[in-house]
Amino acid sequence: MASVAPTFYTNQVQVTDEVANFSPEVVEEMYLHLTKYPPDRKRSALIPLLFVIQRERGYVDNEGVNFLARFLDLEVTDIWETVTFYSMFNLRPVGKHHIQICKTLSCRIIGEPKITEHICNRLGIHVGETTDDEKFTVSLVECLGSCGTAPMMQIGFDYHEDLTTEKVDKLLDSLS
Amino acid sequence: MSTELIKVTINGQEFAVEKGARLIDVCREQAFNIPSFCYYQDLALQASCRMCLVRIEKMPKLQTSCTITCTDGMIVTTQSAEIEKAQRAMGEFLLANHPLDCPVCDRGGECELQEMIFDWGDVEERFVESKNATPEKFLSPIVANDPQRCILCKRCTRVCDEWMGEDAIEAGNRGVNTVIGTYGGWLDCSQCGNCIEVCPTGTLLDGTYRHETRPWELDQTISTDTYSSDGMQLSIGSRGGRVHRIVARDRYVDGLNGEFLDVKARFGHGFVNHEERIKTPLIRYKKGGKLIPTTWDEAIHFVTNKFKESGNNVGVVASPRLTNESIFTLKRFAKEVVGSENYTISDVEDLAPFFNNLSVPLATHKEIRHAKTILLIGGEPEEEQTFTAKQIRQAVRNGGAKLIIVHDTPIRLTAQASQFIHVNPKSLDAFALAFADKSDKTILSKIGAAQSEIDDLLKLIGESEGDFIIMFGRDLSAEAQAVLANVAGNFASEKRRVLLHPLPLYNNSVGANDMMAGRKSLSDVLINSTALLIGGSLSKPSALTDGFLSRKDFIVVQEMFETATTEFADVVLPAASFAETDGTFTNNTGFVQRVRQAVEPVHQAKADWIITSMIAREMGVDFGYNFSAPAAFRTLADSIDAYAGLRYPHLKDESKPVQVKHPIAGKKDLSKETDALRRGVEAMPETNEKIIGTPKVGHKLHRLTTMTSKTAQFHLLAHGNPKPENLLVSPLVQFNLDGTPRVEEKAEAASAGDRISDVKRTAGVTLDGKV
Repeated sequence: MASVAPTFYTNQVQVTDEVANFSPEVVEEMYLHLTKYPPDRKRSALIPLLFVIQRERGYVDNEGVNFLARFLDLEVTDIWETVTFYSMFNLRPVGKHHIQICKTLSCRIIGEPKITEHICNRLGIHVGETTDDEKFTVSLVECLGSCGTAPMMQIGFDYHEDLTTEKVDKLLDSLS
Repeated sequence: MSTELIKVTINGQEFAVEKGARLIDVCREQAFNIPSFCYYQDLALQASCRMCLVRIEKMPKLQTSCTITCTDGMIVTTQSAEIEKAQRAMGEFLLANHPLDCPVCDRGGECELQEMIFDWGDVEERFVESKNATPEKFLSPIVANDPQRCILCKRCTRVCDEWMGEDAIEAGNRGVNTVIGTYGGWLDCSQCGNCIEVCPTGTLLDGTYRHETRPWELDQTISTDTYSSDGMQLSIGSRGGRVHRIVARDRYVDGLNGEFLDVKARFGHGFVNHEERIKTPLIRYKKGGKLIPTTWDEAIHFVTNKFKESGNNVGVVASPRLTNESIFTLKRFAKEVVGSENYTISDVEDLAPFFNNLSVPLATHKEIRHAKTILLIGGEPEEEQTFTAKQIRQAVRNGGAKLIIVHDTPIRLTAQASQFIHVNPKSLDAFALAFADKSDKTILSKIGAAQSEIDDLLKLIGESEGDFIIMFGRDLSAEAQAVLANVAGNFASEKRRVLLHPLPLYNNSVGANDMMAGRKSLSDVLINSTALLIGGSLSKPSALTDGFLSRKDFIVVQEMFETATTEFADVVLPAASFAETDGTFTNNTGFVQRVRQAVEPVHQAKADWIITSMIAREMGVDFGYNFSAPAAFRTLADSIDAYAGLRYPHLKDESKPVQVKHPIAGKKDLSKETDALRRGVEAMPETNEKIIGTPKVGHKLHRLTTMTSKTAQFHLLAHGNPKPENLLVSPLVQFNLDGTPRVEEKAEAASAGDRISDVKRTAGVTLDGKV
C-alpha cells in the first residue's frame, strides 16, 4: 500500500530516542562550560553547549538534542525553541561553508538582494539550499550587527563586509 | 498578599485597593473593560499583545496594565482617544498575518480575537503585503494546529509549563516567522488539552471536535467531571442528543478548576454516544445461556421474583462512579427492601479508615494553592488527581510553598519538591509508622532513608507557618491511613493550620464513602450473599471475585456496556451515563457538586437510582422519589448528617460549591491499628534497591482513557476491553475516541506504520509494556 500522507502532516519528522556519544575530551569541555554558571541554573550553559554539539556533529541533530536534554535536565522542546531562534544553529546539515547573508534593513537597502542573487546564480542554488558537492549553503539571516559596513555576510565565524559582486567572486574563489 | 489598602484613581473615580494588586485586575473588578489576549490570571506575565494599554499620569508613555502593580496615588485613564488609537493599531498588527478565515474556523463564535476585534479593532485592513502561509497540521490526534491564526500570546506555552510542568509546546523561530510548535512537529505530552482551552484564537483546536458543529449550535450544560476525584466543573456541549465536546471555558462555566481540565475529563466523553451501549434490558434465562433483549416490565418482574426467592441474602454493590443519589438508593434497597446488611462499594481501596479517624478538616483546592507547606506521601496526583497536582505545582512555583515528597518513585512533582525522601519500594507504610511514632528507630532500614532525612522533615514542618497540608495516596495500607489521618492533628499550633487531602481514584469515592456508611467489606458481601444487585461493574474482578460471581444464584447488573461483570449477570439493566442523569458527586475536598442532564438517555437507558427504585416499587416498597432527582437528594440529605439541610438550589452556583463537613473524630487511641501496622511493617522484606527514573508523562493517565472509550467509562470496566492497537497505527489519522481511525482515512492509517513508536510514547498506552 502506498503511503500517502496528507500535506497536513509533512512537517513532522521522525524523532528518535537515541542519545549521541561524545569522546571524553568533549564531555570534559562540556562540564567546563557548566562550571561557568551557578549549579541550579544549568540551562544557562545551553548556548555554549549547542556550539559544541554543532562543531562535533556538523549540525544540531536529534541525538545531540537528546544528549543536551539529559545533560541539562531540559525538555527537547526547550532546546528546539532556542535553536530555532538563533540563525547560528542549524537543525539540518549544512555545507562546509555556511554563507549567512544579512537581510535586515541596512543591508537590504544598500544591495543585499543583488549580492544574494549573484551568489545563488554562481553556486546554482536557491536560498536555504546546499550545493551538490556539500561545500556551500546559502541562507538569509537577521541583523548581524554590522550595519556600518553593509552589505555584509558571515561565513563560518568570519565577517565579510562592504560586499560587492567582485569581492564576493574573489572570496568564493578562495574558498575550497 | 497584604491587606494594606492604597488609593488608586481610575477614570476620575477613587478606589481603595489591596497593596500589590495588579492594575488590570483592579480595573476589571471595577467594571472598566480592558482588552487583552496574553494576560491570564495566575500565569507568568507576558505583555506581548499590547492590547491592555492605559495612560498612567507621570509615566512617559502608554503602559501595559497587565504588568503594572498598583501604587498609592496612581492616576489611571483606561479610555481616551489616544488609547483607542493605540489599541486599534495593535488590533491591525495582530491581524497582519491572520487569515481571517472565521467562517471555516471551529473557534468562530467563541473566539476572543474575533470578539476583541469587533469591539476594539478597526475592521479596515491596510496591509497589502502577502501573509505568511503556514500549513494546517495536527500536533497529535487530539490537538489540531493552524499556525497562521496565531497571535503569539504564548498562553499555551505558559500553561504547559506552569500548570502541567511539561514544556511540551514552545514558540520556535523568531520575528514574523515565530510559530507555536514542538520539536519534530509532534506533541509528546499527556494531551491534557489545556493549550486548546486557553488559546484565544483558532490556532489550537480540539482535533476530535473538528468541523463537527459551530459553538453557538451547542447546548452548554454545566456538570462535573466523571473521572477524577477533584470534581472539576465542565461544560458539556451537546446537540441533537449527542455529546460533541467538553470544555471548561470560563464563558460557559466558572468552577473551582477555572479552565483547567485533564485529558480524561476533556476528551473522554466518547462513551456516551457509543454504539456498543446496552440498548435494552437483557435477561439470561439459563445459566451459561445468552443475554436476550427484553422489555423493562419483563426485566423488572423477573428480577423481583428472583430477589423474593433469595430473601435477605441479596447483596448490594455500588460503584464509586455512580451519583450520590444512586449509591444512596442502592443502600436503601439493601436496608429497606431486602432487609440485608450486605451492602458495599466496589472500590477495593476503602476511604473509611481515613474519614473515621479524621483529626483535621479537609483542604479545598484553593487552600492547597495558597498553602505554605505540603507533605505528599505516596500517590501520583499528576496522573490521577490532575487538578490537585496543578495546585501543588502552582503553590510551589507561584506561591513559594515548600513541598516535601515521600515516595518510592521519583515522580515528576519531585522537580518542585524542596525535600524528597526516596524510600524503598512499597515501604510507605513503614514511613507512616516512623512518622507517627518518632521513637521507633528500628524500622529505618525498612524505609531506606536516613534518620537525618526524617529529622529534617520534622524540623521543616516545625518551622512552618500558615497552612500545612498533608496528602497521602492509595499506596498506603488502611491502618497506615488511619494512623496518619489521626496523627495529623498533632502538628496544629497557633501559627499553623493543618489540613488533610485524600487522593482517592474515583470521581465519587468520597460520596460513596458517605452514602454507604456502615458497609461491609466487598469480600464479605460477595461471600455472604446468594444474589447480587450490582450498580456499575466491579472495578477489579480478581480471581477471587470471579470465582464468587460464578457461584451466585442470581446477579443483576446495572451497566452501560457489556463488561467482565455482565458476563456473570443474569439480568443486565441499561444504565444512563453521567451526561444523561441529574445528581451530585462529592469530590475529594468535600464539595458536593451537581451533575446535570445534558442529553436524553440513549436507547432505553435509565438513571441508576431510577432502576433501583423501580425494582423496589415492584417489591412493594416505594422510596417516594416520584422519579425526581431533587426528591432523591432531599431524602439523602435528611438521612446523612454531613449533608443535612442541603437541597439542589444550594448547589446551583458552581462558582460557590458547598462543602460538606465531615465529622472530626479528634484524638483517638489507635494502638490496635498501630500494632497491625507494625506487624505489617515487620513482615516487609528488607531491600536496598530503589526505583530509579522518573516515570514518563501519562504513564497511568492514558492507559485508562482518551483512546479507548471502553476503558474510559462511567462504570469502570475491568477487563475484557477491546485492544487499543488500532490507535497505534498512525498519528496522521484523526481518531474517534474509541480508538478507531476516522473511516475515510483508514487506508492511509494502515500504511503509515513508521510512526508507531511515537504514538506509543505519546499516548502512553503501552508504556508498561502492556496493550
